[in-house]
Amino acid sequence: MSGPDRHPSRRTFLKAAGAAIGFPHIVSSRVLGASGRTGAGNRLTVGVIGVGGMGLVHLKNLLEFRQQGKVNIATVCDADEGRLGKAVRTAGAGVEPYRDYRYILERKDIDAVIIATPDHWHAVQTVHACECGKHVYVEKPASVTIEEGKAMVAAARKHHRAVQVGAQARTAKPAHITCTAIRNGIVGRVTRVTCWHYATPIDNDPVPDCDPPPELDWDLWLGPLRWRPYNPRYCPGTFRWLMESGGGQIRDRGAHQFSTILWCMDADRQTSYTVEAKGTPPSKGLWDCPPEMEVVYTFEDPHWQLVWGQPGDKIGKTEFGNVFWGDRGRLVLEWEGGHKPADEMAVDFKVPAGGVEVARTDEYESLDMNHKADWFKAIREGSKPAVDIEIGHRVATMCNLGNLSYLLGRKLSWDGVKQQVVNDEHANRLLGRPQRHPYHL
Amino acid sequence: MPIACSAGRNVILITCENIEETGQACNQIELRFAESLAMTADELIVKLKDPDDKVRTEAWFGAGRVGAPAIRPLSALAAEDNLEVARAAKRGLWQIVRHAGRPGAGEELTAVQAELVSLLDGRLPAALLREVLWMLSEIGGEESVQPIARQLTHMQLREDARMALERIPGAGSLAALKAGLAAAPDDFKTNMAQSLRQRGEVVPGIPCVKLVPTRKTNVKRVDG
Repeated sequence: MSGPDRHPSRRTFLKAAGAAIGFPHIVSSRVLGASGRTGAGNRLTVGVIGVGGMGLVHLKNLLEFRQQGKVNIATVCDADEGRLGKAVRTAGAGVEPYRDYRYILERKDIDAVIIATPDHWHAVQTVHACECGKHVYVEKPASVTIEEGKAMVAAARKHHRAVQVGAQARTAKPAHITCTAIRNGIVGRVTRVTCWHYATPIDNDPVPDCDPPPELDWDLWLGPLRWRPYNPRYCPGTFRWLMESGGGQIRDRGAHQFSTILWCMDADRQTSYTVEAKGTPPSKGLWDCPPEMEVVYTFEDPHWQLVWGQPGDKIGKTEFGNVFWGDRGRLVLEWEGGHKPADEMAVDFKVPAGGVEVARTDEYESLDMNHKADWFKAIREGSKPAVDIEIGHRVATMCNLGNLSYLLGRKLSWDGVKQQVVNDEHANRLLGRPQRHPYHL
Repeated sequence: MPIACSAGRNVILITCENIEETGQACNQIELRFAESLAMTADELIVKLKDPDDKVRTEAWFGAGRVGAPAIRPLSALAAEDNLEVARAAKRGLWQIVRHAGRPGAGEELTAVQAELVSLLDGRLPAALLREVLWMLSEIGGEESVQPIARQLTHMQLREDARMALERIPGAGSLAALKAGLAAAPDDFKTNMAQSLRQRGEVVPGIPCVKLVPTRKTNVKRVDG
């Protein structure tokens, strides 16, 4: 497969895109070039917002794309000056550092942004970027509330932006092999998918609140969240273990696994279901997500169940994964189908004549590079990316409803058309959360 | 044959020699769980002060059904110096709020709301009062609106009070937000306008500043 040699030039893509009928996205003149000319440097100009953890992975991907002549890297941004300094040195000459992402959004020369901030920032920054005309690649989970997800979809559609969510498995080979096998009946009709996953950690070393370190803009880090004093156990990375900012393993890894499962089950349109969560609370510390948890999602028409398990019944070999239970056997998918190979049974499976073919962008071996290539393609062609924000929102909705059912201690019935919980005013009030001024949708 | 027993949000799988034994064991677990639900407010407070993490955790997790009588003693405990005891008390309060918010809670909800409103008298630390405002944002109705609106003049609480009013549906909270905007000092008018816009109101004369950058970095770009 792939490698840069197979990657068509940007000019070829642009010619094809220009010839396409009904070009729904507005692509800037810098990208397409005015009056039929190619844009300056013939590249997308990109900024990275949030440069710790996955943000650095994205930056390194962009450096590779830059070397291949496909992008300019204009800016890097972070609320932590230590991280920002490291990123600007990694990015090299000419890349402008910012603490406040809004400086990036007001720059007219930037076509697109990659958002890899803590989860509670994803929606606000995505909506603002769309409003400012930028295409967006946003890390998973798409949002921390359902109202945020709805706003992200609305902003992407209103401003005709390509918004890709960073659940890479839908462009990765192992998940694609599994998806093709499942959709073509390798184990017959699947009525149950189970997940196993290691526990959300417990904060066994709690410490009192204190002043933030000088390099961190704590107010900006909190952003839309209600204000509270700094505590070293909030960040970096550990924001994932708090309901408000991360939502635990089900929202962090579940956002990957659910995306793959819905893809394999061809269930993106099955938006209504019931959710019932049970869990054990953490015995101490700041983090409030349940270390152990079981969430059962029941879909109808056709009927099937998805069971999230922390720890769940581990069937495979690695730390987490999924099992598709069909009426003719079972198929295991390790992790989410990105970083681990597909099961040999799926690899050996031959699609029957007239069987279902599943499309996938296939330009790079690296799943991180390939997922971005899929996003670039969507920008160029005016099409939806593999994990379009609407899919990302639906996946995040499942994660968020799982946590909501746990918090409320009751089963929820989700109406995916109205995007409301049936007959539960309290639960519906919790689908959104007021945001702190001025960090709001 | 394993049987699933329900103990609140937890399901315990039990396997015994035969179905009768399994059923009896299941009944015992469910009975013990039901007994734990009968905990009084005093018993809850005692358990929350226990030095054993597990005892405290079990207590706060089961606090929902203790209800309104536990709110005032829990709020006092939540202001304690012991970090983990205070945290457990706060989590117990949240359990009560979320249990009271369930469909059909009726008088229980009214009682919990009234107790929470009574905490806004200012005797608790600001951090805890903010927590109470967020609890009311989840379950509060018209009765909560004016007590919350009075906090809009409190420098340490006004932003949380604004957000709580924004979340509570109905004409009363909307009117309180409008009155809050009219009375707000200049440095808080954009905040109030934000809430009104979230509620679908047009607010002329006060521009939205959400896209205005304000935070400069000290990090320098690398020159070529």
